[in-house]
Amino acid sequence: MALLEYALMGGVLYGIFFSLVAIGLNLVFGVMRMINLAHGQFVMLGGFGACVLYQDLGLNPILGIPLAIAGAVVVGYPLYYAVVPRLQRSRDPEMLSFILFFGLAQVIEAVAVFVFGADQRSLPPETLGAGSVGLLWQQFPDSWWLAASVSVVSILGLYFYLTRTKLGFATRAVMTNREEALVTGIDVDRISVIALIMGLALAGMAGVFVPFLLGSVDPSIGTGLTTSSFAIIIIGSLGRPLGTVAGGLVFGLGSMLMQTYFSSWSNLVPYGLLVIIVLVRPTGLFGRPLRQA
Amino acid sequence: MTITTRSLVVGAVASAAALLLATAGVAMAAEPPSQITIGTLYARSGPFAVSSQNQFHGLQSWADAANKDGGVMVKAFGRKIPVKIVSYDDQSSTATARTLYNQLITQDKVDVLMADFGSVLTSVAVPLAAEHHMLLIDPTGSSTTFFTKKTDYLADVSIRASSIWPIPLGEFLLHKNIKRVAILYDANDFDASQANTLKSVLVKRGVTPTYFNSVPTTESNYFVLLHTIAAQHPDAVIELGYLDNDIAFLRALSNSGLHFNMTFTIFPGQLRELLTKNVGEKVLNYTYTYPTPPEVKYTDVTYGPNTAQFIKDWKDSHSGETPNFLNAAGYNAGLIIQDMLGTASKFTQESFHHALMDISGKTTTVLGKFEINANGAQVGEFLPVAQLVPENNKNKIIVVYPETRATGKALYPAPTS
Repeated sequence: MALLEYALMGGVLYGIFFSLVAIGLNLVFGVMRMINLAHGQFVMLGGFGACVLYQDLGLNPILGIPLAIAGAVVVGYPLYYAVVPRLQRSRDPEMLSFILFFGLAQVIEAVAVFVFGADQRSLPPETLGAGSVGLLWQQFPDSWWLAASVSVVSILGLYFYLTRTKLGFATRAVMTNREEALVTGIDVDRISVIALIMGLALAGMAGVFVPFLLGSVDPSIGTGLTTSSFAIIIIGSLGRPLGTVAGGLVFGLGSMLMQTYFSSWSNLVPYGLLVIIVLVRPTGLFGRPLRQA
Repeated sequence: MTITTRSLVVGAVASAAALLLATAGVAMAAEPPSQITIGTLYARSGPFAVSSQNQFHGLQSWADAANKDGGVMVKAFGRKIPVKIVSYDDQSSTATARTLYNQLITQDKVDVLMADFGSVLTSVAVPLAAEHHMLLIDPTGSSTTFFTKKTDYLADVSIRASSIWPIPLGEFLLHKNIKRVAILYDANDFDASQANTLKSVLVKRGVTPTYFNSVPTTESNYFVLLHTIAAQHPDAVIELGYLDNDIAFLRALSNSGLHFNMTFTIFPGQLRELLTKNVGEKVLNYTYTYPTPPEVKYTDVTYGPNTAQFIKDWKDSHSGETPNFLNAAGYNAGLIIQDMLGTASKFTQESFHHALMDISGKTTTVLGKFEINANGAQVGEFLPVAQLVPENNKNKIIVVYPETRATGKALYPAPTS
């Protein structure tokens, strides 16, 4: 019984962290209808940012969070205007975005190898607290709780942005129907670039905790993170960022339970669940069926 | 019919021409190449990048040293010929590796084929080399699945086969009377072979592992796994994985607050500096590993430099950097190729294999005794068991088993840090 409780608590914390990993991808798709296949690479860059801050500059890796936000603005703004309007004008923007961002992912990984090397980089857990925190008699390291807390705050922040601010309302309008939003006078490009920057920032923030929750960071982890994120957002609901929380929890709980009882199969969890969800509820756990005209 | 003078002259000229052509053909067949091409792969990215590039650098160092000396002696041509490495980046992908190995064999037509690091990236080369009747020099692929039958197309040159590699570890556990053993291994050829060998050694003597499970090779979160293992109350936890698995495992262990009497991982013995940089000295205190050359020293060798000379030469040519096992493995592969070319009477793959079988058991290099069996498995190059013991805030490798090779006593159970 103790093992089950431990796996459940671990699964919740792990799942909340992976919600943060994936939510940026869902936001970008929801607003721009483009699949950012380089999403995992931005998470990876967030991890390297934290490592550089600590190992090369002697600073606390938690400062990687504001660094990720700043980096997202610096990268996201020119990236959007360089590629997205052109993609939007093309005949099949979704497929072309797939290919373009795949290429971008390869470029980022290659540059990361060149800049940081292929070596794994890890961070001592003491940098985020040397102890552990207990809840319901289950102890987990400080870094896990901090990662989950930052994830919760970020996701709540996104929720409030989408539900309480004018820009958020406009974002939801664009997510519902881009063309109608354009016709009603919403500056779709402005909304989209903000969404892209937010998506990249969320990815980078999640990356700060990768060296703690996933053992180490190296240039090759990006692709696996993108795949996991994709599975999570499909499970939750593609195009509905807050559905990602449900997807993350399902992923986290599934992974930890499988590790406990059937460890050889733990990597299959997101993909097995993905197949089941797509068959049973194709719109995802929090998707709404589309009205057929 | 009378034989005319004209016909005699024509016949003589035709015979002379035939003789000339025949002689020219023989001469062309015996024409030595201007370079001996050694085809291999390396991973510049992906999970095997660090290990692969270290091994590749070792091979490059050997080639540079050989070429400085005018090349390698090729007995088939009776002269020294420079070597050239033809290499491609497989990005740690077996699919890419398969295509590139095929290119090395069929397009580049290399003279000698050498595998990339490790069992995973070697696995795709083994059937391909056999299909093309090409000898595969395998530096560090030790999976038992490679060595199940007699073959002329495979030679494991720089690492012991996984079917015998963990035997000393199993014997150490039995020697210490450790009854509760947990084995966690990656689900790939290399680690699964080791795990199964270790389990069979223990089971034969009545010790059944209390935990014996695999995880995907990409596993990076060991926190909950460790608690699951701890619930079995093992005395020894053996984790068999690759470098990033070891890092994640040791990190999770130090973070978890758990303590086991014995913890074993593979890569601290091969890439100690990198492990220390990632997890810290304290986390490695009192853990066990396989110590590898050049940590394990060979003073008397029959071919190439001994350990001290190898370390000195490496430091001289690499700005003072200390070589690790994978550098030595790549270098050793080059040495064995050199010895092979210097022994083979013909410049054919078959002759290369015969040469390796000839030198097997008679050659000791910086990695120890080179000995392969008919299945291509390396049965020499013994790896003992060592413990990392703190001394002046740094860990020192102490060989603890077998006793004939021990440099100190094992501290068991491990003290709590």
